[in-house]
Amino acid sequence: MSGSIERNLSALAETSDAPGSGMVKSLDPRAKILVTLMFVVAVTSFGKYEVSRLMPFALYPAAMAGLSGVSPGRVLKRTLIAAPFILLVGLFNPLFDRAPLLRIGPLVLTGGWMSFFSIIARSFLAVSAAVLLVFTTRFDSLCLGLERLGTPRVFVVQLLFLWRYIVLFMEEARRMVRAHTLRSWGNRPKISPKVFVSMTGTLLLRTLDRAGRVYRAMRARGFEGEIRMLRPLSFSPSRDGLFLLVWGGYFLVCRLVNLPEFLFRAAAGP
Amino acid sequence: MSHHYLEVRDLRYAYPDGTEALKGISFRLEHGEACALVGANGAGKSTMMLALTGLILPSGGSVDVGGTVLSKKTAGDVRRRIGFVFQDSEDQLFMPTVFDDVAFGPLNQGLSEPEVRKRVSEALAEVGAGHLEERPTYRLSGGEKRAAAIATVLAMLPDILILDEPGSGLDPYGRRLLVHMLRNFRHTRLIATHDLDLVLDVCPRTIVLHEGEVAADGPTAEIFRRPDLLERCRLEVPFRMQN
Amino acid sequence: MHMADALISPEVGGAMWAVTAGLVAWSAKKLKEDPDEGRIPLMGVLGAFIFAAQMINFSIPATGSSGHLGGGMILAALLGPYAAFLTLASVLVVQALFFADGGLLALGCNIFNMGFFTCFVAYPLIYRLIAGTGRNRNRILAASVLSSAAALQLGAFSVVLQTVASGISALPFGTFVLLMQPIHLAIGIVEGFVTAGVILFVLKARPEVLEAAGDRTRLRGVSLRTVLAGLAAAAVLTGGVLSWFASAYPDGLEWSIAKTTGSEELASPGEGIHSTLAGLQEKTAILPDYGFRAGSGDDGAAEASEEAAWPNPDMGTTVSGLAGGAMTLALAGLIGFALRRSAGARK
Repeated sequence: MSGSIERNLSALAETSDAPGSGMVKSLDPRAKILVTLMFVVAVTSFGKYEVSRLMPFALYPAAMAGLSGVSPGRVLKRTLIAAPFILLVGLFNPLFDRAPLLRIGPLVLTGGWMSFFSIIARSFLAVSAAVLLVFTTRFDSLCLGLERLGTPRVFVVQLLFLWRYIVLFMEEARRMVRAHTLRSWGNRPKISPKVFVSMTGTLLLRTLDRAGRVYRAMRARGFEGEIRMLRPLSFSPSRDGLFLLVWGGYFLVCRLVNLPEFLFRAAAGP
Repeated sequence: MSHHYLEVRDLRYAYPDGTEALKGISFRLEHGEACALVGANGAGKSTMMLALTGLILPSGGSVDVGGTVLSKKTAGDVRRRIGFVFQDSEDQLFMPTVFDDVAFGPLNQGLSEPEVRKRVSEALAEVGAGHLEERPTYRLSGGEKRAAAIATVLAMLPDILILDEPGSGLDPYGRRLLVHMLRNFRHTRLIATHDLDLVLDVCPRTIVLHEGEVAADGPTAEIFRRPDLLERCRLEVPFRMQN
Repeated sequence: MHMADALISPEVGGAMWAVTAGLVAWSAKKLKEDPDEGRIPLMGVLGAFIFAAQMINFSIPATGSSGHLGGGMILAALLGPYAAFLTLASVLVVQALFFADGGLLALGCNIFNMGFFTCFVAYPLIYRLIAGTGRNRNRILAASVLSSAAALQLGAFSVVLQTVASGISALPFGTFVLLMQPIHLAIGIVEGFVTAGVILFVLKARPEVLEAAGDRTRLRGVSLRTVLAGLAAAAVLTGGVLSWFASAYPDGLEWSIAKTTGSEELASPGEGIHSTLAGLQEKTAILPDYGFRAGSGDDGAAEASEEAAWPNPDMGTTVSGLAGGAMTLALAGLIGFALRRSAGARK
């Protein structure tokens, strides 16, 4: 449905210029990529029934959102988009895992429900970390960070070209779907397979044409096989290194020590 | 610097299926001249421009760019001297940011980092787009795209500028900026366009193409005073010269 | 068919990332050996095309549902396996980052599941064998349907294996397979038809397009034997990993097996599991204190009480853990909010 094209276009527009600002934006992309990866690995490394020990990890997305000025609402909205499928799979857990695990007064929680909540928690954490990465780092900067971290050039160039042309193609697709809607009956007319084939086929032909023209433009400016770019990245040990160490250390602590337990006991008194 | 000339002799081009697109075109542009190339769609304007830059190889005749005759071997050399601005800026702006795109040409020319940066800022300044340097290319307006596309070509310091429908898709303001820009360039300019009023503002000389051949070649004002010629070539008298 | 971070363990995610990274590097190397300047813009725009085309939903006749095009086979036919793989991978990266479609850790799995089988198995072994680069309508149809169906079956099965091996979802292997495979068979067949339609459409207008792609698309330098050997190795690896996890997660798999066989009563884990666990502590020393025990409290002191408390865990420990967890969450939120206020004030 063109609805999803619309949604995707606006989702892209939202993140396109990395709306986050300030010091987080200026961090070296490599540092942000590595911290995000450490975060995801740490979060997913917990046992399936862990819920409370995942909570301290929420500090990372919260802090990143806070420091960069990205509204938590935006981040939440993005995490909810991924939710339905995960919820679906996750809901099988209470179904299959019925052993009681925890009793809070009259309420008995089975292993299945604990792992279900764990899945939800993981989902929110992992997705919000990825979302914040994208909101605070422009995609081309991210790609160059990836290259410096060892990603093959061909792939990085591919990512950059893809990013550059994605919006154009989505708009073209949207125009086609709109044209179809205008000539069809009903509120939300469905595209038949036959129409889809000719739409997609036409788009593909135009794509091939464009590829030829872009190639010509590249040759006209001296392209001979290698894409050259002037994009120095500077890793500042004081800023980026510190960022890595602080968060890496925090994740490690959260992984090794049961902070929520600790906090509760400290608050509840001896 | 009188070598920035462009001499075309009996240029011919036929498509793979045999249809002749260019049937023997000859003309000479002198250093610094601004010449318009007009003609109906399909008259051969785009094909001719592609042939001049060696992006397609002519099937006959010769193209002499400031002393270098176009051939398969010299194509690269020729391309360094000719800055070709495409009709669709989206084809010409293929790098992530404006800076990357404008730097593309100089980097391919093997210039050093400071030289490349200098070329980029100068080219962008010339088109009034210095503030767009860090902008992602897909987030430019039509006029901004046009300016950036021209900058990508200027950064290579070409001798000759060839522009294919530079005014298409621009709003009146953008068009006015373009006209102003084009008038001030010192390069030898060949501008293919349907915008005959732009021709009047920018190009003292006009070549009319019709079905792959040169139908007329002379001072713009004169050519536009021949409605019979214009009509035969499926053109019209420019708006401001009507009645 | 996208895997999510929430359902994956770092071991599985990491292993698949290693495989995918290897495939990306290998594809990049293969492409470098076969320079083709025009390929760079072609890959870029085709990626954008696939991305956009995937968003157009069409209705599947006779059912109420809608489908969309995966596009991998079309890419493989136009670009060849290596370039198509990289293009598909790039599309998945963008989807993971911008649309939270699949996670970052799961990205390795997703690229593998959706890219490897299409480009390196289904295309060369099925599509090329049946249809080659020719224009025979029936061959193209048969080739598209068979290769799409096969690629999706293999991909879906991969998802099942990876999910079960991760042990986060309690969905038992059998049930999962029964859910995934038939659905994806249907999807694969539909995709095959649509793919054939698009290829034929393009061929009608531009007959030379597949021929031109002809030599790009051969899996150059890799014989059938190598591919099959690679597949066998992958199968062994997956099987090995799966069985390792089976022994590591006796609880997980046992319970699901118990559930599917219908036994209500859970055998008391007792000594057996504990010794296995202790033994595994050493094996998984890379991630210290890797806990797959139920309940909270991984520090040594709680171990003993945990032990005795299973399956009726010490209420105090776990409830306090939950309460502490809630406090931590609130604290995190407050800190984030405070940071935001101060960042705003500084502006």
